[in-house]
Amino acid sequence: MSTLDASTIKKVVVACDAGMGSSVMLAGQLSSSLAPYSVKVQHSPVNQIPDDADLVLCQQGLVSRAKAVKPDKPVLGFTMFLGDPVFDKLQKAIRDGGQLEY
Amino acid sequence: MTRADEAPSPTSSGPTESTLSRLKTKVQRFGGNLAAMVMPNIGAFIAWGLITALFIPSGWWPNETLAKLVGPMITFLLPVLIGYTGGRLVHDQRGGVVGAVATVGVAVGSDVPMFLGAMIVGPLGGWLIKLFDTKIGHRTSSSFKMLVDNFSAGIIGGALAVLGMLGIGPVVRTLTEWLGSGVQFLVDSGLLPLASLIIEPAKVLFLNNAINHGVLGPLGAAEAAESGKAIQFLMETNPGPGLGILLACLLFGPRMMRASAPGAMIIHFFGGIHEIYFPYVLARPRLILAAIAGGAAGVLTFVVFEAGTTATPAPGSIIALMAVTPKGGHLGVLAGVAIATVVSFLVAAVLLGFGRAEKARELQEQVAAGGQVDGNAKQKG
Repeated sequence: MSTLDASTIKKVVVACDAGMGSSVMLAGQLSSSLAPYSVKVQHSPVNQIPDDADLVLCQQGLVSRAKAVKPDKPVLGFTMFLGDPVFDKLQKAIRDGGQLEY
Repeated sequence: MTRADEAPSPTSSGPTESTLSRLKTKVQRFGGNLAAMVMPNIGAFIAWGLITALFIPSGWWPNETLAKLVGPMITFLLPVLIGYTGGRLVHDQRGGVVGAVATVGVAVGSDVPMFLGAMIVGPLGGWLIKLFDTKIGHRTSSSFKMLVDNFSAGIIGGALAVLGMLGIGPVVRTLTEWLGSGVQFLVDSGLLPLASLIIEPAKVLFLNNAINHGVLGPLGAAEAAESGKAIQFLMETNPGPGLGILLACLLFGPRMMRASAPGAMIIHFFGGIHEIYFPYVLARPRLILAAIAGGAAGVLTFVVFEAGTTATPAPGSIIALMAVTPKGGHLGVLAGVAIATVVSFLVAAVLLGFGRAEKARELQEQVAAGGQVDGNAKQKG
């Protein structure tokens, strides 16, 4: 477990296998919940995570691939696509500017 | 019970697991690359599928002139798009150009659509021009850069096209025909439902795109070019098995699943984003049996009805499925989806003990956490 200062997060990238389905859906939901804190949310295929991502978000099953592509990026894994506590944790950390464990 | 399982071999289970997960990551990446060549071009596949469904002699509005679009699109446009995308994945625009030229070499003169060939020579072309650029091209002085860039891409692409037409093409064509007749054998002998034994577990390990767009899609397109529809398009995209599992989770699943299941069902069945049900299976791995049973029942139904679609329904939403089903085939497709849903639901319901097992487990977890049975359990910090 390492931590990340949530106030440094300016861009969150949601990654899925193709970058066309579930990541688009999640990015849409997250961008509206994170918009008040001027955090950008983008989606991408897990093989093509952009370099300017401050935090990568993907399903547990894809975490090792995301880490293989971007070994130096913090990767936060979630389990469920709907109502996973990780999303609340992320929003809370960004809102309060605390430390985010990943 | 888990404690007893783990205790005897704490050292041996570690490396095996990490080797397995490394393998999984590798397969995912390879499959992801296959799918990444096809998925950005799904729009073109659907355009072809719609044109086919509308204008061929057995279509909704048969039209001899417009039906002329069908052949060139599947023979040239779609393979070239795949080859271009494959090359571009390796080496951007220059890789894409060489990949596209190389693909024409395998596509021309082939009587089967050259998707497999495009998936080989596209990235190969991209890789060769990348090799040239990194080894030789970057040493060129800037005044000759444009000349060298254009002619290196032209010569490598042209050479690959010739090689593809004479050498790679015939080999891949034979391979494609073998694969095609292999699938046909499975259909004829009624063994096709067994494919669900591989498809459904691979799906929930996030190999869904690799299986569908990397393997079944190209096989199906070859079949659809011949007979106007293909069962291969339905095997992974059938939303029935996932819907059945979500339905069972809604009624009998643990509390956390019950809450999110209705939203997940809409996103899965109508939005076509199947990923949404994978975590439910991964959380209760035995549910994979429900997915396999449902998937196999669906495939069997498709075989019986001789159902198929004209293009890959992507995403696997019921709306997309209906849109690419040829005239007169809707009953078979709907029956397959419905039967898959029912079978998967019933098996999942049994596996979840109709909710009794989950209630007992919740109770057990609360007791184990040192909390009271009444729901006063302490929250884990």
